[in-house]
Amino acid sequence: MPFDSHRIHDVPDDLLAAIDYCYEQGWTDGLPVIPPVLDRVQAMLAYEGRPPEAVIATHPATTLQLTVHAAAVNAVMAGCLPEYFPVLVAAFEAMDKPDFNFHGSTASTGGSAPLLIVSGGYADDIGMNADVNLFGPGNRANATIGRATRLILRNVFQMIPGISDKSTQGNPGKYSFCIAERARGNPWPLLCQEQDYPEGVSSVTVFAGGGFCNVENHGGNTPEQVLGSVADAMANYGCITLGQAVVILAPEHMRIVAGAGWTRKDAQAFLFSQAKRSIEGMKSVGKYRDVEYDKQHGPEAHRLAEPGYVHRGMTPEDILITMGGGDAGGHSCFIPSWSRGRGSIMQHKPIGVCIDCN
Amino acid sequence: MQLYDPTSSGAERSLSRAAALAAIEGKTIGILENGKLNAPEMLREVADLFVARHGCTIHAMYSKSNASAPAPSETLAKAAAEVDFLITGLGD
Repeated sequence: MPFDSHRIHDVPDDLLAAIDYCYEQGWTDGLPVIPPVLDRVQAMLAYEGRPPEAVIATHPATTLQLTVHAAAVNAVMAGCLPEYFPVLVAAFEAMDKPDFNFHGSTASTGGSAPLLIVSGGYADDIGMNADVNLFGPGNRANATIGRATRLILRNVFQMIPGISDKSTQGNPGKYSFCIAERARGNPWPLLCQEQDYPEGVSSVTVFAGGGFCNVENHGGNTPEQVLGSVADAMANYGCITLGQAVVILAPEHMRIVAGAGWTRKDAQAFLFSQAKRSIEGMKSVGKYRDVEYDKQHGPEAHRLAEPGYVHRGMTPEDILITMGGGDAGGHSCFIPSWSRGRGSIMQHKPIGVCIDCN
Repeated sequence: MQLYDPTSSGAERSLSRAAALAAIEGKTIGILENGKLNAPEMLREVADLFVARHGCTIHAMYSKSNASAPAPSETLAKAAAEVDFLITGLGD
């Protein structure tokens, strides 16, 4: 179908009836949506420099396309404010990179959800939460940007639960899975800096996350103790694969790790070397595959890949680590990849700017 | 009240099915395995049934490195040139 910016539905001039109409059309995630009235969509579009028919992402199998206009409509439905829109656009530009494989990660029985991590000053500009109750409810930007991501997958790309989204169990992040990186008190360079964006440019990183694992440790007071408990979570038999990982360290844990002088690279190397299972252990649960072991231990193997063990990921750089959450509590988290192998690789894009664009 | 439609404004699609084979006796089979744990074994078993029952010949097994992504177009073009029909499926 060619782009048509005037596909308009006339509904009764009653808000509750309009909400019900959206339900009847199958446009929701199960929760009520804001009816996408014309002026709200136009306000959303004002935050994007490209024309409404510009294509942001294309589904590799069906060729269905996400236009700026369709993104704006779904953003309104999710409850986004217009200033959130550049984050959503950047997220789908990142997800459109082939190595992210958003079709596979959405369609799979694995049940993943795209985790969005917003880094840099833009997160503060739009009032995102990087602090207490990081993954929980209560912040409009976090909640609605993540929700808009899901609505686009459903409405634009037709990834319909039970039909083209075959998640065995799914996970709660499939409603919304969007956080900001905590800059306040963060001793390490922000992700947008590590990603080499110019000063002042924020970024969004997308990762096909397979769930959420809380890592509690209130007794450890060395980097090895704190990160040792994280590594154990990363290596649990239910999760360990060659896939990537996201680790969000609580400020309490970060103070212990960085306070001992550890850099991000130090922590990544420690986690990669410790998040492992023996071949015998993998065989004991029926999950050992020689082709995977050989891939990790072949000619290109990382020097920390220990013979006789299967590590999580291929290299330390496969582990994204940063800080988030409230000041109190020894609760970090590990988010496993959807992919058992290299089926989805995390991607990032700058927010609201175009760098090296054609 | 007027609402914009939130569903796709996708590119025009042009898809068509290949013509069905008139018969499968003696045809050449290709296997496209998706890299999952049991895919080669399971698909080989299926292909063997065609060999036993219909006198087919197994020409080649093609592989995908990413089970959840479309097969590379060069893989499909190669298979189309080499075999009469292709067997594929999930193999978890």
